[in-house]
Amino acid sequence: MTHRPRVGLLYNPTTPELLEHAPTLVEHLSVMPDRLWFDFGQDAMHGRRFHRVHDAIDRVAGDAAGRTLAGHGLGLSLPSAMLLDEAMVAAVAAMSRDLGGFAWYSEHLNLFITPKGGVPNSQAGLGLPVIYDEEAFTLIADKLRALARSLGCRVLLENGSFFTPVPDLDISEPEFLNRLHREGLSGTLLDLHNLLVNARNGGADPVAYLESLDLNTVEEVHLAGGDDDEGFYMDSHSSLTPGVVWELAYAYLPRCQNLRAITFEYQESYFEDLGLPGLTAELERMHALAEACSRVEGGAHAS
Amino acid sequence: MLADFQQALADLTASPELCIAVRADASLLSSRYVLSEREARRLLEIARHPGMACACTVYRMNRLAPLAMNLRDTLRALGSALRPLISDYWRDHPQGHAHFFIESNRFCRWLRLRIEEGEIVPPDVLPLLERDAAAVRAAIAASCTETPLE
Repeated sequence: MTHRPRVGLLYNPTTPELLEHAPTLVEHLSVMPDRLWFDFGQDAMHGRRFHRVHDAIDRVAGDAAGRTLAGHGLGLSLPSAMLLDEAMVAAVAAMSRDLGGFAWYSEHLNLFITPKGGVPNSQAGLGLPVIYDEEAFTLIADKLRALARSLGCRVLLENGSFFTPVPDLDISEPEFLNRLHREGLSGTLLDLHNLLVNARNGGADPVAYLESLDLNTVEEVHLAGGDDDEGFYMDSHSSLTPGVVWELAYAYLPRCQNLRAITFEYQESYFEDLGLPGLTAELERMHALAEACSRVEGGAHAS
Repeated sequence: MLADFQQALADLTASPELCIAVRADASLLSSRYVLSEREARRLLEIARHPGMACACTVYRMNRLAPLAMNLRDTLRALGSALRPLISDYWRDHPQGHAHFFIESNRFCRWLRLRIEEGEIVPPDVLPLLERDAAAVRAAIAASCTETPLE
């Protein structure tokens, strides 16, 4: 039996138009629960913290029919030195049930919330870097166990993008992801564009990173494009996947034995600029990549 | 202590002034946070990293996003007064709210209070603020989509 990763999109308000234009090119959707509710916070009115955007949820449910659907979250900030946000976990689990069950759920390996504040994340994607050591491992491992138990599905962690690498780490990020996988706690959502963002901003070399990562940990891949701003390269999801990311994809993804989906991320405010022809061509290109990653179950490549 | 390290990292990202102060006097870190020597060293290196300027800029862009989306006319009318005012607001409210309309409503209330206390702003700010604030309050009401708990 041949296995081929699915081609998908990170869902945003413009996705329905793209799906209408190119329905057969999209086999997978990733949806952010954070975008399908209003979070009134701990001091919520009437005791209800999460108010769902019902028409948007109905739309996602309709668009997910016949496709795989995964959840992709920002709000749990698993590396934070804080207790797991149980109320949000319950809301994610309820959202998963409403949508027929997430095939898997991913979170970011970035810090978004701190005990006395936080770092707001929006389209420019600012998360803070994480110290990779034993303390962080224990903290994240405990939360991953609780999260998987509540959601009843596989959990993946995404490598983040940042502007300021943490110096003098005990272990590298890929080694950290390898260990989480080895201990059965999570798989990897490999964002190839984030590797480029980090490299362009003075972080690790993508090839060195990928050589350190156990490619069997990779279960989903994100492709995206960014732009330059005042000497830095931003993970703005404003453009199509750049050539250097495609080169990395072809060099490494065919070796990812457990890859389930290749997902393109774009920010909806750039939808008009990217255009339906451009996005369709991107999806077609992703299908060619998925074909290159096809393999006969048991390990051999289908080609 | 990890919690303090993370808080210090977030505070540095939120405040270019703190970054500059820490670069000039590293002992500031240990006076404000409980840090191991290694954590303090890491933070100092991060504060000195050229990428910190970009991180600080992106922080401000992200915190400005809900206000720019929901209070466009008020912000435009504030003109050059916006920059110092917004810095004061972020100092008073270091944690942004995930609900963009609540964050916008909080800024409206904060700004109105500042004006009542004597803050000088261009004359067209107040009527635009009243109009934008009313729209934000209506949007908050519309975002209550679930029935109240008994």
